[in-house]
Amino acid sequence: MFNLFKNKNAEKESLDKILAKSDDYKCIDYFNQKTNVSFTLKFLTTLIDEKTVQESILPYLLEENFKEIDDAKEIIPLADIQISEDISQIEDKLFTGSVLLTVNGKENKFCFLGARKEIGRNVSLPEVEFSVIGPKESFVESLDQNLNLIRKRIPVKELIMEKLTVGTLSKTKVAILYIDGITNPENVDTVRQRIEDIEFDEITDSSYIVQIISDNQNSPFPQLLDTERPDRISAILAEGKVAIFVDGSPHALIGPTTLVEFFSSFEDYYLNWILSSFFRLIRLFAVVFSILVTPVYVATLSYHYELIPQDLMNTLVASRRAIPFPPILEALFLELTIELLREAGARLPTKVGQTIGIVGGIVIGTASVQAGLTSNILLIFIALAALASFTTPVYRIGNTIRLMRFPFLLFAELWGLLGIVVCFSFLLTHLIRLTSLGRPYLEPLYPPRMQDLKDAFIRLSFDKQRKRPFLLNTNQPNRFHKKAAKDKKDIEDE
Amino acid sequence: MNSNVPNSKKISPFLVFFLIHTMQSGVGILGFQRIIAKTAGYDAWMSIILTGLVVHILLWMMFKMLKIADGDITSIHTFVLGKKIGKIFSSFFILYFCLFTITVLRSYIEVVQVWMFPELRTFWFTLALLILAIYIVFGGFRTVAGIAFFSIILPFYIDVLFVVIIPYSDFTNLLPIFDHSVKELLLASRDMSFTLLGFETLLFFYPFIQNPERSKKWAHFGALFSTMLCIYLAILAFGFFPEAQLQKNTWPTLAMWKIIKLPFVERFEYIGVSNWGLVILPNICICLWCASRLAKQLFSIRQKTSVTAIAILCLIATSLISTRGQIDLLTTYTGKVGFYFNFIYVPLLFAGTLIAKKVRNREKHT
Repeated sequence: MFNLFKNKNAEKESLDKILAKSDDYKCIDYFNQKTNVSFTLKFLTTLIDEKTVQESILPYLLEENFKEIDDAKEIIPLADIQISEDISQIEDKLFTGSVLLTVNGKENKFCFLGARKEIGRNVSLPEVEFSVIGPKESFVESLDQNLNLIRKRIPVKELIMEKLTVGTLSKTKVAILYIDGITNPENVDTVRQRIEDIEFDEITDSSYIVQIISDNQNSPFPQLLDTERPDRISAILAEGKVAIFVDGSPHALIGPTTLVEFFSSFEDYYLNWILSSFFRLIRLFAVVFSILVTPVYVATLSYHYELIPQDLMNTLVASRRAIPFPPILEALFLELTIELLREAGARLPTKVGQTIGIVGGIVIGTASVQAGLTSNILLIFIALAALASFTTPVYRIGNTIRLMRFPFLLFAELWGLLGIVVCFSFLLTHLIRLTSLGRPYLEPLYPPRMQDLKDAFIRLSFDKQRKRPFLLNTNQPNRFHKKAAKDKKDIEDE
Repeated sequence: MNSNVPNSKKISPFLVFFLIHTMQSGVGILGFQRIIAKTAGYDAWMSIILTGLVVHILLWMMFKMLKIADGDITSIHTFVLGKKIGKIFSSFFILYFCLFTITVLRSYIEVVQVWMFPELRTFWFTLALLILAIYIVFGGFRTVAGIAFFSIILPFYIDVLFVVIIPYSDFTNLLPIFDHSVKELLLASRDMSFTLLGFETLLFFYPFIQNPERSKKWAHFGALFSTMLCIYLAILAFGFFPEAQLQKNTWPTLAMWKIIKLPFVERFEYIGVSNWGLVILPNICICLWCASRLAKQLFSIRQKTSVTAIAILCLIATSLISTRGQIDLLTTYTGKVGFYFNFIYVPLLFAGTLIAKKVRNREKHT
């Protein structure tokens, strides 16, 4: 017993020693004016709010009737006060913004006073997932602020929030959110288990978590949806999915998810269902177009020019007559140019980036056609494909689509249309095999589930959205009760 | 007996439709019209119906046997023939599926070489297709069924596009009907059987169906759909080509594509032939899967090892076959083996199962 006590003291001393090396560590002795008790405050100036110390802690400790440590709770007007004898807590508390109070001579009992300094930005407009209609708030880096945004939208006791800590160095706080009674506990268990199993030192963003807990880490496809929109999170929680928040990241994660979900913008739910279905179809068409147009161009011009009707062929031949390269080099040249422009645009400040985009796009494009390096028809295709790839509402999947084009190009060069089919089959197989938190990624296409098609390629009206997604196997499959069957009205009935 | 397949690895009964149909619509469908018209002329459409009916009866027998033995073909063999002899009989099917894979691969590549790429290297293209097939089989039976599903759904537009040729056809070609003898019709039915082969894979993937009772109707629908598709394509071809000209086309279905013309696409058969790659892909996968699963059950080899080994075997065999004559020989032999297996062996086995069941019941009573 004595030994243990001594060890603990040694631990505290070594902590003091290490802390003393940091200049922001303060350890100050004071005397109470009434009782003459001497006490010490220890804190890290960078983490605590000095105003709280000066206004809500020190005056009371110095002037009130402070005899022993237990009095602190009565005399200090703070909500977050904790009295403890557990030395192992000290490091943790000091580094999350608490002031350590000890009465000199009675060091085995101490008090933590919460005086955390909050530095963070305010809630701002969503930048990645901007929408014209709908709420204009987006998450920020502070976990508490983000959770506040969600709690405000779902003010029910069933909204459960579990906190975990991951990362040996970063000690990042991760919150798992779900609605008890709706979400399938299996999904929550999977998420919790995978987050608990994370072995990494520094988790700086939710993107780390996505990559670490994905079912297949060797896939270019994102297997958890990330969003910066609180409205999207509250909607998917109501569907029965699980949300993951990471402290320090303005992007929350959603799982399990499907491929189609990456092509649905949240604005789809703010528009009338006919319009939003149309836009969704356009977006899906854009994706297919963006991936396939250059490979098909290369395949047809390298191998199957018989495919093209004669009139169209004349135009194509005229535009390619002066070009010294085979179609594949021509296409690769332009694709790489576009990729370069995009990378340059992404790395530069917004205003310069725009200029680079315009200058690069117009000048390089026109110049390369005039110089006879590429045909203007291909230039049109490539520009359209690039434009189409920007229609993806989720940034992550847009990157995947950017990459997808290149294997298709290579296969097209190898075996023409046949190569495209082979490459497509590889992609299809990969997608069939992929899962998100153990649920099929290609659902509702495969396994085919008619019920979930109501909100996939098209979005049906809200009265048709009575069932929660079958994919999630929720505890409560109905979103609302069907009203008693309405009589079908005839013309001019009241 | 073999019901140790975990539930999460099983497929829903309605996917059996796609599995049965996809196995039946492979390369055969590209050129069956000429073969059946050889003996039965333009009455051959009746032979298709006949073969279709027999397929339904065989499917019914298979379901009955599988239910009695409660498992796949290995359990039927054990049930009827005992463990040792059953094993020997079952192991022949590994060879059968290898043969099937090689035939499908080689005849598809032949089509590609004739219609699109005369200088396509058989070896490299087979290699690519087999790597793809291995990747699919590694994903488990659910992935195989998924590929089967998409291989029907995605190229379906081709079947519909055939409507375009109707204005160019003369369906009076089919008249007069019944100007061939019953024997000729029966012979044509036998020739038809190679095209409609493949449904026997049911005997192998049966334990992977959730709720197999409910899959019955889907299996029959699948077979019915294949028969209907064949009749549709046969009647179109008979209307499109005069009888003598049909005999000059090895692949009448492909030749019909030539007439399809869109504002931005001519020579539609290029798209058709490429797309057919997706149609034959599940055939290769299902065969590889069946063969490797059998190897696993009979000789307890890891399925990952056996798939790779069988694929390498098929790769070597496929690249060795080069001339038209060899391919023809291969197709004929596979057709024959398939015919004997499905139309003779299966009914025999069915009878055997029924007898074995009676004997066992009697043993139980006494």
